[in-house]
Amino acid sequence: MDKILRIDMGADGGPKTKTEPAGSYAGMGGRALTSAIVSKEVPPTCHPLSEDNKLVIAPGLLSGSAAAMSGRISVGCKSPLTGGIKEANSGGQPSQMIGRLGYAAIVLEGRPKDDTLYRVYINKDKVEIKADKSLKMLGNYAVAEKMKAEYGDKVSCISIGPAGEMKMAAASVAFTDMEFRPTRHAGRGGVGAVMGSKGVKVIVVDDAGCKARSPKEAEKFKEANKAFVAGLRKHPVTGQGLPTYGTNVLTNVINEAGAYPTKNFMWGRFDGCSKISGETQAETENARGGEGSATHGCHRGCVIRCSGTFYDKDGHYLTKQPEYETVWAHGGNCGIDDLDAIAMLDRLDDDYGLDTIEMGATIAVAMEAGIAKFGDAQAAINLVKEVGKGTPLGRVLGNGAAVTGRVFGVERVPVVKGQAMPAYDPRGVQGIGVTYATTTQGADHTAGYAVTANILGVGGSVNPLKPEGQIELSRNLQIATAAIDSTGMCLFIAFAILDQPDTFQALLDLLGSFGGQKLTGDDVVALGKSILTMEREFNAKAGFTKEMDRLPDYFKKEKLPPHNVTFMVKDSDLDQVFNW
Amino acid sequence: MKTPTQPSPALMDLTLTMSGSAVSRFFPILGEGLLIKGPGGESVEGFLQKAAGVSPAYLKDRVQTVFLDGRALDDFSTAVVGDGAVLALSAAMPGLAGAVLRRGGFYAAMRRQISHEAGGTAAAGAPITITLKLFNLVARDLGPGLLGRGILIPGGQLRDFIARQGRWIWTECTAVFANGKPLDAAKVVGVLPGNGCVVLTVNTG
Repeated sequence: MDKILRIDMGADGGPKTKTEPAGSYAGMGGRALTSAIVSKEVPPTCHPLSEDNKLVIAPGLLSGSAAAMSGRISVGCKSPLTGGIKEANSGGQPSQMIGRLGYAAIVLEGRPKDDTLYRVYINKDKVEIKADKSLKMLGNYAVAEKMKAEYGDKVSCISIGPAGEMKMAAASVAFTDMEFRPTRHAGRGGVGAVMGSKGVKVIVVDDAGCKARSPKEAEKFKEANKAFVAGLRKHPVTGQGLPTYGTNVLTNVINEAGAYPTKNFMWGRFDGCSKISGETQAETENARGGEGSATHGCHRGCVIRCSGTFYDKDGHYLTKQPEYETVWAHGGNCGIDDLDAIAMLDRLDDDYGLDTIEMGATIAVAMEAGIAKFGDAQAAINLVKEVGKGTPLGRVLGNGAAVTGRVFGVERVPVVKGQAMPAYDPRGVQGIGVTYATTTQGADHTAGYAVTANILGVGGSVNPLKPEGQIELSRNLQIATAAIDSTGMCLFIAFAILDQPDTFQALLDLLGSFGGQKLTGDDVVALGKSILTMEREFNAKAGFTKEMDRLPDYFKKEKLPPHNVTFMVKDSDLDQVFNW
Repeated sequence: MKTPTQPSPALMDLTLTMSGSAVSRFFPILGEGLLIKGPGGESVEGFLQKAAGVSPAYLKDRVQTVFLDGRALDDFSTAVVGDGAVLALSAAMPGLAGAVLRRGGFYAAMRRQISHEAGGTAAAGAPITITLKLFNLVARDLGPGLLGRGILIPGGQLRDFIARQGRWIWTECTAVFANGKPLDAAKVVGVLPGNGCVVLTVNTG
């Protein structure tokens, strides 16, 4: 991965491609690379949908190699949702294929002079760009089918649905999975709208004739990979809990903790929780049967297999197994306790190309505004269809919870920097609230996710019992996560490397042997800090101030039942998160 | 949230025989809660051992996430279970939230406001009844034994659970007995009491 493919969509005479050496970006991957390119090349004050913004698609450092769990891909740009820097990442097949083609990144630049829609085809010999009117306003599923019919089922697709074409701020970028379905999404921040602004409907990636990327120290790499996989398989979270129940295993637990945001963050418990829990979902999927029902990977090389396949009551494929965040967003947060309805909403989101977290949060805000009743699943489905059709109401909803709240005069809008909060109420789990408030990305649970900070000793030894402990923990988690996001590794490896020092060492050995250099925890910390520094500087130049590193006021005032807690972390403490 | 000190006497014994591994279809109801009677004045560890036969070793190794009355618990041995308590047991959970909620975990400070404080009082020896919720892998581990011995649950809860399962549940059920007498599976929902408790036994056969 020593080259970067740049596609200038606004070039005179039509789109032009240029392949250049990675140069000063060499050795970077995933989030490190997307944030480096955006912070260096995109004017921070530009309009996110303008020709000056760039959409950077970058596989992780290990993507395309034989390393397990290395198939994550990052999409970066200036976000139309937050107005700041954005990195959204996804699973699916394209990351490994782009890695094998040797590209560290694909960068979409400029903007077409008209509304022509293009498809891009990339293989080892050429990059082909064609105008294609037939793709206009197609859903992601139809696009994938069309591409499969034309190029066969050995390629993979990166596409946008109608939401991206309409440049909605909740629009995602879809990546096809092992079954050639567009079920994996870089969902957050409106990255699909930026792809839409570039006039690119789909990028077809064909790695035929390419070999897996070779490590510098093959034998050591092979041994490290073996130890890493063994560590993941023996750990109860990655070896049993996630494969058996998927991420939705969290529903019962977060609900019991009283931190499950219910009906637009009004309560911390949902009465219908057990009907949509991971346990119920897995039993439902297993009872209905079908290929890959309750346990399935999102890309080749995944050994955790936390996903699955959701078939309807008649046994027909409906969507992939909805994840915890999706089940919460469209379920408990909207008062909906019907798994089939939630699965339908997930399918519609994937097809239109929408972030499920943003859409669930948005519909809940609309419900609070009286547009529909909490618990009315059919009304929620109809609202998402409005978005897909691009009706005036749909255009409002498709631009996210913050816009919807403003349009309908709702005060309780759970966003930070314009981006909707995920499925953990920050009043219940206050340390996560610190991350929601301060991350460069807008409210995002994955920004402080990699629970390796204590092993890495990031920022020195933390005493979590001290009042400032939550600030330090959030800081350290954000540093560790930024680094993991650059490797292409799935964040779900976190528990195994937290609990098992030998698995963490195997990960370091995997990274080190691939590049031919010894890697230490300090190196990982330095990488994480450098990424966050770039992102913070971009946001500052884009106009972000410390006053934007805050939760909405109502989290400090409204007590969350059943524990009746408010968010108690002081603003002055939040301002210390990046004081390293 | 609190259950009555003395639950209503069981109005019905319902015994189902499920084919193969289909007993697992009933694991989700364990997450809704079953009623357990046991001695008062005990720690969580002591109560679970005496009332449900759960060994301390199992608790230590497998049960990484625990809630007592909705508050995350860090120490089995110091928290005392009171009458009417709700105790929830889970294996280790993924993600940051999983790490934060974990028993005695490094990130426990991030949920200080919802942590259970050690201690509690209850009259030693006086019998108590609590609601026990078993989630995920813990339900899978302990479920077959508990269901095989019979669990006490509210009849309305069981009726709603069975009603929403759909047709599959009866295709995997080979025998139904209500109060010791054979019953047509299609009639189960109709005869379950809306109020009062039921002893549900699920066998594999």
